[in-house]
This record gives sequence, C-alpha cells and structure tokens, in this order.
Amino acid sequence: MQRPDRREANQIRSLHCMLGQLSRVDGSAQFSSGKTSVLCGVYGPIDVKVYDEKLDRAHIEVKFRPDIGVPTTKDKWVESAVRSTFEKEVLAQLHPRTLVQINLQVRENDGSVDATAINATTMALVDAGVPMKTTVAAAACVVLKDGSIVADPTKEEAELAVSTHTFAFANGSSDGPLYVDSRGRFSMAEYNRCYDLCRLTCDRILAFMRTALESKIQKESAISAV
Amino acid sequence: MADTKVVIPGDVIDTTIHMETGDGDDSVVRLGPGLTQINDSVTSISAGVLHSNPETHQHWVVSNKRRYVPAEGEPVVGVVTARHGEGYRVDIGSAHDALLPLLAFEGATKRNKPNLAVGTVVYGRVVVANPVMDPEIECYNSNTGKAEGYGELSSGFVFQCSLGLARRLMDAQAPVLNALGDEVPFEAAVGLNGRVWVHAETPAATILVTNAIRNSEFLDARQTKQMVKELLARQ
Repeated sequence: MQRPDRREANQIRSLHCMLGQLSRVDGSAQFSSGKTSVLCGVYGPIDVKVYDEKLDRAHIEVKFRPDIGVPTTKDKWVESAVRSTFEKEVLAQLHPRTLVQINLQVRENDGSVDATAINATTMALVDAGVPMKTTVAAAACVVLKDGSIVADPTKEEAELAVSTHTFAFANGSSDGPLYVDSRGRFSMAEYNRCYDLCRLTCDRILAFMRTALESKIQKESAISAV
Repeated sequence: MADTKVVIPGDVIDTTIHMETGDGDDSVVRLGPGLTQINDSVTSISAGVLHSNPETHQHWVVSNKRRYVPAEGEPVVGVVTARHGEGYRVDIGSAHDALLPLLAFEGATKRNKPNLAVGTVVYGRVVVANPVMDPEIECYNSNTGKAEGYGELSSGFVFQCSLGLARRLMDAQAPVLNALGDEVPFEAAVGLNGRVWVHAETPAATILVTNAIRNSEFLDARQTKQMVKELLARQ
C-alpha cells in the first residue's frame, strides 16, 4: 500500500529543529516533523506559587495550546502526558521550592502532535539548561485497516487508522518506554510491532537531537574559546 | 585543560584515574557544574562543553543559560524589592529573592547603616547559595571589611544578557570591554546573574556601550573590534 506522501511504511518525515528562537524565555525550541510543528518555551527554575510549592523538588507545570481555538480535554491529556514523561527525567530535586514551566504552542497540526510536543520539550529543556538525566524522544505510528503499520502518521493517515500508538523512550536506556498511549482496537502482536517500530524511530530522533544540540554548542563555544 | 568535547544530558563521562600520573590511590574525582553521579557512572545533566583537568581530576561542563542559579562567591547585580527589619530583599534573577543584611556594607554599624530605597541597584557577592535556603548576598568583603567595589550602583543603566556572555565579560581580557575602553570612558559592573550595569558620561555613550556588549555575544575578538569601530564611526 502506498502512503499519500509516498513514504516507506517505517519512514518518518523530515525533522527540523530550531533552538533559542524566543528571546524572553530561559530556553526554547521549535521542533517540526514534516508539516507538524510545535514551539516550546521553558522558564525555570523560577518562583513558585505557594500551593504548587514542593519542599523537596521543583514543580513541573505544562501548558499546551493547540494551533486553533482554546485547549480542550484532549489537549489537557497531552499536558499530563508531557508532565508525567518529564517528571521522571528532569532532576527536580536539585531545585526544591521552584517551578519549571513548560509552554507548548502548536504551530501546525498534521498528525503526531503529542510526539512532536515531547520532542520539542526535550530540546527546550536542554536549551534552558534545566538539569536532566537524559534526553527523551517520542514517536507515533498507526495500524491501518489492512493491518499494515506506518510510522509518523499525517493527520489524514491518523483519521483512517484502526489504532494509534505513541511511545516515548529515554536515550541510552534499555528500560521500557517512559510514555505509552495506545488508542483503538489492536492485537498484542500489532502492539508489539508498533513498539519495535517506535523504538527504532525514537533512536533516529535521538540521534537527530544530538546533532542539533552539538552543532549549536559548537557554534557558541568556538567564539568563547578565542 | 587537556581536551574539550561537547556533551548532552545522559552522556556518560570517563573519569578513570590513570595511575601513571603518580598520585596514588587516594586521588579523588571532583565533579563540577553539569555533572552528577547516576547509579555507578558519572553522567552529564546539561548540554555544553566538557572540560577536564587531568592533574586535579576535575571535570565540569560549561554551558550557556539565561536563568541564574546562585553559587557562592559570585558577584551579582540586583535590585532592592523590599526592606525588612534586618535587611533588604534583592531580586538577583534567581528563583528566590536574595537577602541583603543591613550590616553587610562597608563601615555599617547598628547606628550608621545605608538607607536604600526600593528600586535601588546594588552590586553584591553571593555568600549563601543553597538549594534549600534563600540566597544571601553582601556588599562588602566580610574578611577585610572593605567594599572592594561592591555596594549601591547609583545612576547608570542595567541590562540583561546571557549568563555565558556575563562570564566572558568577567575576564580582564574581554575583547569588547577593552575595545570600548580605548575609545569611550565608562564604568561597568558585571553580575554573573546576567545583569550588566554600565555608566558613561552621556546617555548616547551608555547606549553605545550597551549595544556593543550585547552585539558581542556571538562575535570573536577580531569581529568584536570591528563591530565596536563601526558603532563608534556611526556616532
């Protein structure tokens, strides 16, 4: 079966990442996968409201805005997905009684927004210098009516899908995923195939993230070394 | 500094001590900013350039940030936000405001202490920097009792820059400050919290100095000199 944009089943769209686009936040990144694009701005560690204050670690707050309209219940779900993913990876205990605020804005939605949001958050957190155990990448895939599995679905493909799956993995860990979201009807075999495909895709995205971060740091440090 | 390399969070750092260097089994590995121990390995927790000193077994990561996290001994530029019975609250750009005791000034006694209004800019040194406590600064060296340049910064202009640029400006050889200093008389106080106070004779000169420092963020020494020259020519 051919995909509308003539990609291979396991092929992801071209990745693009810009760091430090926003001047007033502590760290920012715009992460794009094909047409899907999410902008993330991070503040932190900053002063926290008394009722959010945690005595032993930083409070992590996520705000997610869709490209059109006001946030809905589904967007709140993405917020909680991003928060639960990064609560495990950010070393929040290093900055007790503070707040790390993650602001996400969808620039364009062409499928796999939740995965792109997680990827944008990783890059913005690293750009802000928030201490993290490791980098995190997320990838989505869908099972189509004929049983075939395609990676990084567009909006069109996601609407035709029988089930959609999003996984997030940490860099360099052989442990299980940090985040799983599977919707629709699927068999265990299909789930396992999706898991393997997303694992491979995440490794590719993590390699891309490393290149993007390294080139930015190299550019900056070349000057300070002089 | 023997070798430098770029690391991102999660990279495992090789901190093996080679016995040939000759200081025996009692040598300790020292970890600086950006590194921590996770399980059995030393891991980077921020993205930046890894620096290592093979003689002292020190390892640290230099990264550029915009949000200040106080560290002991660092000079900072702050703004007084409130006055308490025993001291001032000073905004130094960190998560929590710093405390500046009333007696932490040169020659201050119970009867004779400086009276700072809310909004005053002060140059101080961080003395207490602890994640579980509010930071504390002082405007004199408590060992010598001398101001050593710290204290209230009257008139002048404060602007914000990245922490990496602030750190580079602290260097006596900072190309932008030297290039400017040859042409325009001005005073500057650099805070490692990314705030820079400048004071020049005229507002025009202040703006020139500010722009030159801001522009120098992504320029090397030669380009900086050229940029300063162009700014001066335009005046």
